[in-house]
Amino acid sequence: MSKNYRILDLLRRGRTPLENHLIDGLIDGRISRREFVRHGSLLGLSLPLLGRIGMAAGFGAAPSLARAGAPGATIRVGSSVPAAAIDPVTIADAGGLLVMQQVAEFLCVDGPDLVLKPALAESWSPNTDGTVWTFKLRKGVKFHSGGEMKADDVVASIDRLADPANSSNALSVFTGILQKGASKKVDDYTVEFHLDAPNGNFPYMLSSDNYNAVIIPASYKGGYEQSFDGTGPFKLEKYTPKVGASFVRNDDYWGEKALPDRTEFTFFTDIQPQILALQGGQIDIINQMPVLAGVAVLNDPNVDIISLKSSAHQQLHMHCDEGPTKDARVRRAIALCLDREKLAAGLMKGRSALGNDSPFAAVYPSTDTSVPQRKQDIAQAKQLMEAAGVGQGFKMTLTTERYLEIPEYAQLIQNWVKEIGIELELNILDQGAYYGDAVFGKSNWLDSAMGITDYGHRGVPNVYLAAPLKSDGTWNAAHFKNKDYDQMAASYIAALDLEAQKATASKIQKLLLEETPVIFGYFYDYLTATAKGVAGVQPTAMSQLFLDKASKG
Amino acid sequence: MVFLGGQVLPGNVGRAILGPFADQRAVDALNHSLGVDRPLLVQYGSWIWNFLHGDMGTSYVFRAPVAPFVVDALGNSMKLALVAFVLVVPIGILGGVIAALNFNRPLDRIISLGGLSVTVLPEFVTGIILILIFGVWLRWLPIAAAWPKGAGFFTQLYYLILPSLPLFLVLFGYIARMARSGMIEALDSDYTRTAVLKGLPWRTVIWRHVLRNALLPTITVIATQTGYLIGGLVVIETLFRYQGIGSLIFTAARGKDFPMLEAGILTIGIVYAVATLIADFLYSVLNPRIRLGAEQ
Repeated sequence: MSKNYRILDLLRRGRTPLENHLIDGLIDGRISRREFVRHGSLLGLSLPLLGRIGMAAGFGAAPSLARAGAPGATIRVGSSVPAAAIDPVTIADAGGLLVMQQVAEFLCVDGPDLVLKPALAESWSPNTDGTVWTFKLRKGVKFHSGGEMKADDVVASIDRLADPANSSNALSVFTGILQKGASKKVDDYTVEFHLDAPNGNFPYMLSSDNYNAVIIPASYKGGYEQSFDGTGPFKLEKYTPKVGASFVRNDDYWGEKALPDRTEFTFFTDIQPQILALQGGQIDIINQMPVLAGVAVLNDPNVDIISLKSSAHQQLHMHCDEGPTKDARVRRAIALCLDREKLAAGLMKGRSALGNDSPFAAVYPSTDTSVPQRKQDIAQAKQLMEAAGVGQGFKMTLTTERYLEIPEYAQLIQNWVKEIGIELELNILDQGAYYGDAVFGKSNWLDSAMGITDYGHRGVPNVYLAAPLKSDGTWNAAHFKNKDYDQMAASYIAALDLEAQKATASKIQKLLLEETPVIFGYFYDYLTATAKGVAGVQPTAMSQLFLDKASKG
Repeated sequence: MVFLGGQVLPGNVGRAILGPFADQRAVDALNHSLGVDRPLLVQYGSWIWNFLHGDMGTSYVFRAPVAPFVVDALGNSMKLALVAFVLVVPIGILGGVIAALNFNRPLDRIISLGGLSVTVLPEFVTGIILILIFGVWLRWLPIAAAWPKGAGFFTQLYYLILPSLPLFLVLFGYIARMARSGMIEALDSDYTRTAVLKGLPWRTVIWRHVLRNALLPTITVIATQTGYLIGGLVVIETLFRYQGIGSLIFTAARGKDFPMLEAGILTIGIVYAVATLIADFLYSVLNPRIRLGAEQ
């Protein structure tokens, strides 16, 4: 299709230089349409506008995913038991945040395609260096308790999370980025966030990606289970701790009203009973199904699998400051032993993408895909071991947690490194024992010479780039200290422009391949199972589940 | 004991609630608000004091009073145990009696061997097989044991059949075997021969002389299993999504939720004590020697 420069010029008017630079990138073919939509949404351009620009630039209309189903269904979901009291400030577990997200909403939502979509905020934009982000709020949004959602509620909700005195689970996200008191009301429908340092991906931290960041009334003082107040398309009907929850349609919802009349959530402590309940027709959806446990239904003709590409992964860290892995050549040799193709096809049943020993998963638009993929190469691994003076091999302990497929992954690694003479002893612990107090000196996770740790999905790699890899990172289990890296990570996080992010990402990827403090073997897909005939279900890889368009055939 | 045991487990309450990736300042703030950063003796003292005043405490994890959780879970556990009990005790004893009366004949072999074979299969194996057969293929019985709210007695019973079947399989072989060996011994004894020789009808001999003596060891076994039926069903409760006291204690221990853990364990202790008491009482009813001894 040809480009329509007249319309493009019209659309460009009034856009900031940063936005126009992005449009240039699309027209010149430096960035793809998918990257354009995703980064444009990050800069606060609306999706219809991005669509019009795409059309004018000759890309045709974006496919519409909307499917109108029959209204009035009761959708039954199986999910994990909320592990603690549901409170937006402290909540940390998938089961609990799923329940909370049914009633409460975010300023913006990080969709399955990692494109930010407006929710309670209508638009947002950065200042020129990305230190102040301004969010315009939607008007006429009502809390279930009656009041209108305004800037005061947004400021209070976010400030509560940034306050170190509040047991906030989001404190680790906001540390070094947004302090208490840095969220400021401009008028009733405008809020400014004044950051500690430039941040190009800040809207993700106020999106569903930061699962604590729901907007609740400013008057909230704790005891969320008494009110379950929010602005969402569903209202709570009943919540019974450890048993289940049910919701009904909110007829005062600001957006399109939800299709289902009711939704029912049943809590399970294990995945097998959920699979049996789905097969037995007692639930319609399994919100999160680990691939290894779900083998039985992956090919079941009565079950549909929604498979989302995600950045969730297992990090294999190696101490960079002591023992045989102090030498980067040894760490590279270990990484070269992994047969990643086999991991993806066998262990993960084809439901994963290859990892290239950096947090830059293929799902991220900023990832430089031209960096060569690391493959199994035993001969080269042996050479590296010789060069490092440990050609005869050595003994070492791999400490990890009993979670998902990690024990099996550890066994595969144990077998592979035998080929270069490394004898790994596996120490597989209960999750509580592995993480311990989660501070250096009191945690098997942070103190083990070699270990495997699970990391959940994030819409942008910022968290993975900072805490587990920066010299002063609080989750730096590899004890990796590299000034060049710290600088690159900081400049990636600050970059507002997609091309600048890409250039830095490329440098980081190469440096991490050389140093290999952490092996990223694969990034696994987020799987949701639905019974045949159930449509319109929208999960996210953060284990949220949007049911407002769900229907049953 | 439980209190001290819990303290040596790795991790702390705030960390367990907020997860490994939470900021240390947030964890400290939470521990402080829960009061778990106080000295151990102070925590223990205040817990005991409240317990003696009828207050089981407030769950750290659920931030709600512990008592309703424990009472509900105990009620659920007792219902499931009762259904399993009513199924397995008469059938188990009957199986044992039939086996003994057919000593070394094929029927005896079938009952003894069959019962023993299913007893050694763990509940999670038999449970899954039963779910697959009755819940997924035939769709006769509901898979989850949690009945709808406000369900009547028969609906509840209907929901409890499937989870009680694996318990039946585990205990049947055990009880039948005990009853069988007791029967064989009693049948072989002098008093049985006397009873037969003095011309009593066979039925009276079995009822009045053999069974009464044969069942004594069986009752002890059943009593010791009551504790297991109420407190030890973590696997069954997980598989059938049933809110019993076994899984309540299990999750409390994992989450370092001490008030919940302590209240749960104390409750199970009481259940064991009561079960043993009832067994002793039954023993004395069936065994005149003990009664006479007491009177002397």
